[in-house]
Formats: sequence, C-alpha cells, structure tokens
Amino acid sequence: MTARLEVRLVKRLPGFTLDVGWTADGGVAALFGPSGAGKSLTLQCMAGLLRPDAGRIVVDGRVLFDAAAGTDVPPQARRVGYVFQGYALFPHLTVADNVGFGLRDRPHVERARRVAEVIARLGLAGLDRRYPGELSGGQRQRVALGRALAIDPALLLLDEPLSALDAPLRRTLRDELRAVLTEWGAAAVVVTHDFPEAYRLGDRIVVYEGGRVVQAAPRTELLWQPASEAVARIMGIPNVLHGTVVKATPDRIQLRWRGQILEAVNSPTRSYLPPPEAPIAFFIRPEYVRLVRKDRGPADPHHHMNVMSGLVVADEDFGTTWLLRIRLDEPGAPAQGGWDLEVEVPHLVYEILEIERDRRWEFSIHRGSIHVLPA
Amino acid sequence: MTAETLSALLLSVRVAVLATVANAVVGIPLAYVLARRRFRGRALVDLLVTLPLILPPTVTGYYLIVVLGRRGWLGAPLYAATGWSIAFTWYAAVVAATVMALPLLVRTARAAIDSVDRDLERAAHTLGRSEWRTALEVTLPLARNGILAGLVLAFARALGEFGATLMLAGNIPGRTTTVPLAIYTAVQTGEERVALLLVAILTALSCVVLVVANRLGARAA
Repeated sequence: MTARLEVRLVKRLPGFTLDVGWTADGGVAALFGPSGAGKSLTLQCMAGLLRPDAGRIVVDGRVLFDAAAGTDVPPQARRVGYVFQGYALFPHLTVADNVGFGLRDRPHVERARRVAEVIARLGLAGLDRRYPGELSGGQRQRVALGRALAIDPALLLLDEPLSALDAPLRRTLRDELRAVLTEWGAAAVVVTHDFPEAYRLGDRIVVYEGGRVVQAAPRTELLWQPASEAVARIMGIPNVLHGTVVKATPDRIQLRWRGQILEAVNSPTRSYLPPPEAPIAFFIRPEYVRLVRKDRGPADPHHHMNVMSGLVVADEDFGTTWLLRIRLDEPGAPAQGGWDLEVEVPHLVYEILEIERDRRWEFSIHRGSIHVLPA
Repeated sequence: MTAETLSALLLSVRVAVLATVANAVVGIPLAYVLARRRFRGRALVDLLVTLPLILPPTVTGYYLIVVLGRRGWLGAPLYAATGWSIAFTWYAAVVAATVMALPLLVRTARAAIDSVDRDLERAAHTLGRSEWRTALEVTLPLARNGILAGLVLAFARALGEFGATLMLAGNIPGRTTTVPLAIYTAVQTGEERVALLLVAILTALSCVVLVVANRLGARAA
C-alpha cells in the first residue's frame, strides 16, 4: 500500500537548510519539534506558498510538486486547506464571507448552502454576520477551520492551531479540534511544539530538529520507543540517564548505573545489541516508579525488580500529583544535579504513605519501564 | 472676486483633482509592487519616485522640461510629429503636480500595504485566489484607509504646487496660473486683498485636508 501523504523537501535559506522526508497513511500527522526546526516551513512548501529547491510532494497519488519532473501546482490549484497560526481571518469580511471565501467559483445558491452547512457543523450558527474582531478565540479557531474545510480539501494543514489561545481554553479546544479532524476525515498535518498536543492530535508523529526529521512513528511507538536520546530530550522526557552495558540480548539489556545493576527490556524488532562496557542512554518514566510499602514486609523479589533505596530530597506539588526528587543511597555525584530520579505519585498515595513526613524509601522499577535509547 | 482670481481657483481645483486621479492610477499599483515584489531595479524605482520629495521643486521642474519640453527627450519627437508641446499648457500643471505629489501617496500607501499581514494573502492563495485577485479582494481593501490618507495628502500637495508648475507650465494668467502662482503674482504687484483672499482659501483647504488625513490615518492604525 502506498502512503496517502509523501513529503520529501530540500529548501535552503540563509543560515538554515530544511532537508526532510516522511510519509503518512491518512489520519493526522503531527509535526513536532522546537521552534525554528522547520515545521512551518514544511507546511508552506506543502501548500505551495514556498517553492522547495528539491523534492516531491504527493497527496493521495496527486503530485503537487516534483522538482525533477518540473511539476509545481500553484497554491490556488492545490486544494489544500490551511489554518494559519493566529488564524489569518479576513478582518474586513463577515464569518459567512470568510467561510465562503474559497467557494467563489460555485454558483451562488450552492455556495450559500455549503457555507450554512459548514457554519452549522462547526457550531457557529448565529455568528455568520459577525466580523472576526467580534469573536472569541475559540470561535475564531472554528471559523478558520471552517474556511479551510469548506473547500473540501484533499489535505488540511494546521500551523500551531492552539498557540493563540489561553491555557484553559487550549485543552478544551484541543479535544474539540481532534473531534473535528476525526469527523471530517480529511488527511491533516498539524504543526506543534507541545508534545501533549502532538500526542493528542496526531496519529503519527514526525519529530523535527534543526531542519531534519529525527523520528517518524505512530504516536504510541514514539512515546515508548524514542529513537534516540536527542528525540527523548526534544520530547521533554524526564529521567534521561546514562549507564554502562553489562549484557545485551535481543529481549533484555542489563546495565550498570549509580552502583546498581538494572534490567531493562530490549526491543527485538530494532535489534539493538551494544557490546559490554559500551555507554548506554535510557529513561525511566517518573509515573512508573513504585514505592515499596513499609507496612507489607520487605521487598519481594518476585514482585519487585530493580529495587533501590534513597532519600526524597525535594518535592513539588503539581495539583493532582506530587513530583519527588530522590537521591540514591550511593556514594558519588547524583545523576541529575542534586538528585538521581524524578518520581511522580498521585496525591492520594502521597497522603496515605505520609511522604511529607517519611522521606526514606525503597522503590522498584519494572524492567518494562526502563527504556533504552539507541545511540 | 475678479475673473482672473476665479479662473486660478477653478484651474487649481481641476489640476489637483486630475493629479490625484493620475496619482491613484499610477501610485497605487506602484506602492503595491514596491511593497510586495522583489525585483531588479526596485531600489532605483523607489529612489526616482521619492526624489521629488527631497529635491527643490525647481530642480524637479527642470528635469520635467528636459524630458517633456519642446526640445526634451519625449517632448521633441512629440512636437515633431504633432506640432504640439505640453510645455506652458495647463496639462503641464497637471503633470508637475502629479510628479510632485506621487511620493506622498506612494510612501503612505506602501506603508499601509506593508502592514497588511502576509498570512492573509497566503490564506487567499490557498483558497484559490491568484495574486491579482488577492490584491483586489484582500490587500488593497485592508490598506484602504492608508491609501485614502495618501490620496488626500497628494491632493493637498497638488493644490499647493508652485515651483515645478512654474518651470513647466509657466505663469500665464487665465491659462496656467494656479492659486499659488496667483498669490505670488498678487504679492509682486501689490494686490494685497487678492493675496489675502487666496491665502485664506488655501489655508482653510489645507486644514480640512489635514484633519481628514489624520482621521483616516487613525482608523488605519
């Protein structure tokens, strides 16, 4: 099966080169990475607003750009919907005229019907005669979506669609946007620098850094198997640590870290087999570290693996969870400045275990929760 | 009011209106191209358009004679073909006023066009509009107030033009004498009351123009 979306681009700008390639099988692809990584530039090339120096862009078998073949469909003929950062609604036109802007070639009656349909479907009924300046942030977002969707695009591009909104609204509209994208079924590409947003909106996530793609994978695969330490850092994963390989097999990796021997799961599919004594990067998700309850006897080797002990040297309240910073009972410098591990526990656990008072803990980490990062 | 004073007033208004129309036709596309396109010679075009703002008006007038005069680059072939020259006609006053007012319109309109968010134009492109349609439906409507303010300023400049007009059109009473020239003549010949009347009229007109331009500018911002 061929991919519905095929993007290969080279664009040289003063001081920056975009050189990327990725594919997606419909659904929503999220381009994720820090600002200035080339994500928005990619969207502009896909929409035909910027001409790449080389490459090929194919949407559902339709070649929009092919440098080698000399194909360059102009933006007005691409049938690509674009939701701009800040929305770029026409301030001098009403909601209805904004939504209908791309339908100029249709007969008047059909155009009016389509505009009414889009306005109703996006919950904008009653606002059709307002001007963009009279709308709330969420309404503007929906008008921008409606304007792009009204032309029944083969592909929908969204550039940081939530960045213009306040934090509380962001979460609501993120879910709303997800629902609209699913419901309309258009292949879509969303640009964002926020990982939770990329994860929530994208079926597939393409990670950008410095004008290149460092990983492109289904979202769950990315979450559990970042391709490298660089990707893990871009994703903002806590507890990215460095150890030494003891022994690696296709499904297990033993490693040494801070005086401990830890056992981690290896992924047979990527066949990563570093030699003994090789340096190795890995990460431990803070929410997957288990504290060993003191009222239930000593740690049981059948239940607990990778057992360590340490002292809570700092904690922070995040409202629904507490973040504990733990320093291991080992000599030598802690791995992350003043502490070795960040551990996240729900409020309830924090209270039941009386962590505020009781600072010394044993904890265990399942081997499946230690994720090795290939070099 | 004498016949000559009235004729100067009517001529001035006619010249200013036509110069403003000419400014709109030439200046708005020029402002758009300077704001939105990158091409070779752009800096030169910008310089040529702006120069009349900086040069002494008589110098601009001199260049106009060099180009359009009976023995000018364009004027000589025209005279040879038709026996007619624009010099010392009221058309010359329109040309002089147009050239002198153009920088005011182009600079104001260009700033207004520059301030239109490029993403709005990009949005129009993705929604099926060519650059031409985008300019007509999005860019120029959004720059409208700035462009109108520029036209008002151009009108005021055209109404008050003196130096370049004198050079190219001369000061022929009843034919090329506009209000500023009439004021000069009146002062020279000691017709204090005529001078005062015309000065008062021009001052009042200029004040109105300034208020209108400011209002438009404030709405554009």
